[in-house]
Amino acid sequence: MTAFDAVGRASLARATARRGLRISLVALLGLAGVYVLALGYTPVELRQGPAQKIFYLHVPAAWSALIAFSLVGITSALYLWLHDPRLDRFAASSAEVGVAFSAVMLTTGPIWAKPIWGTWWTWDARLTLTLFLFFLFIGYLALRASLHDPEERARFSAVVGILGMLLVPFIHLSVYLFRTLHPQPVVLKPSAPSLPPEMLRTLLVSTAMFTLLYVGLVTLRYGLALAEEARDEAADGA
Amino acid sequence: MPDSLRLALAVAGKDIRAELRSRTALLSAVVFAALVLVVFNFARDPTALAATDLAPSVLWVTFALAAMVALNRAFTIEREHGALDGLLLAPVPREALFVGKLLANLAFVGTVEAVTLPLFVLFFNVDLWAALPGIIGVTALATIGFVSVGTIFSAMAVRTRFAELMLPVLLLPFMVPPLIGAVQVTSRLLAGRPLSEMLGWLRLLALYDVVFVTLCTMAFTAVVDE
Amino acid sequence: MAPEPPQNVGYLIAAYIVAPVILVGYLATLWARVRRALGG
Repeated sequence: MTAFDAVGRASLARATARRGLRISLVALLGLAGVYVLALGYTPVELRQGPAQKIFYLHVPAAWSALIAFSLVGITSALYLWLHDPRLDRFAASSAEVGVAFSAVMLTTGPIWAKPIWGTWWTWDARLTLTLFLFFLFIGYLALRASLHDPEERARFSAVVGILGMLLVPFIHLSVYLFRTLHPQPVVLKPSAPSLPPEMLRTLLVSTAMFTLLYVGLVTLRYGLALAEEARDEAADGA
Repeated sequence: MPDSLRLALAVAGKDIRAELRSRTALLSAVVFAALVLVVFNFARDPTALAATDLAPSVLWVTFALAAMVALNRAFTIEREHGALDGLLLAPVPREALFVGKLLANLAFVGTVEAVTLPLFVLFFNVDLWAALPGIIGVTALATIGFVSVGTIFSAMAVRTRFAELMLPVLLLPFMVPPLIGAVQVTSRLLAGRPLSEMLGWLRLLALYDVVFVTLCTMAFTAVVDE
Repeated sequence: MAPEPPQNVGYLIAAYIVAPVILVGYLATLWARVRRALGG
């Protein structure tokens, strides 16, 4: 590892991180626009009242968390096949960003549920699945944090990533079967089957901004991974 | 194929014999399970809920926790004696190694469950004689699910510093679907319900086992080989 | 008389504050970690 390589790695890290930051800031700006749309442009739902508008944050966050999780699973499988460290770096980045989006889901979910359903928590399919995604992400990151050999860490995380991805359909199925046995009181379905156009448009814009934010955050996190590797290599070489 | 099977059985036999020689792991797992049952007894308000309502949940939480303790111990012993490293030097198929470890762990956890079940009947005054074949069947199905994922995760956890914490954190989400299925089937068995009411859950348990035993067998090589 | 929607703006405000705090907070943490890794 020459000094030149170390410098090259660091500047790649810096460039990647900066790009990630820029994309994230654009996405956040877009989200500010979504706030304007959600609070000003969309109508207030009659049965649920203003709290229904939490929908414009909660559902896109769910979407981003699910993308994050699927990509961890897919890149884990690809890593075990191709052994490309970039896949491992991406998986780790997607997992951490996924925790952030899951946290948004797990906070906005109960805040939405309380006025609508009268209870902070319900073991319905979506909230339960989110909770599991959160725990799977945390387990994945905890395992990574406790392994120091990069190659072993990449291999082991990849196994957990793949197994986790395959667990999700089973969680979904068992929760669904469990709930059809124990009928819950009839509740208002928060996402109406056919949305008025203003709601649909706002939801789509919000989803686009959340997706962009996912891309920005993962890029930034990827840059951080590169930066940490560059710093560790420099420390070893010194 | 028969060669791999013979190898798997040999690995399983070696592990089981090693465990039988020093019985401390088995005994401590059994004592742990018994204590969990005792805690459950005192952790509930006897006037609020009948023992029979809670029985399936108590049994399965106990089995799940006991399985985790047993898996932890099994790999700690492994790490102390370093038997796996010797095997890995030889060009043996990793799938056979995994199946061998899986069988040994199943024997271990199964023994703990077999001792815990009569204690459960005793402490909670549950009449399960008529349902016994069904209980044994569902226990086998769910335990295979627990232990297949548990074996591969304990192989990984043992390489980390806080293995005793890492294994539950990784494994518990994976134990939930078999656990849900097992509790549902057990409660129906104890209530004497017909088989048709349990088929859906049994199919879920069987599917889980097929998927995860296959997956873990294939993934084991990634855990033990550089 | 037309039905009134329920009064629950407080929840809306809470959610609309919590979500960006988490996301912006995470972004800020990431950037700080990058600067520490590159600057140090």
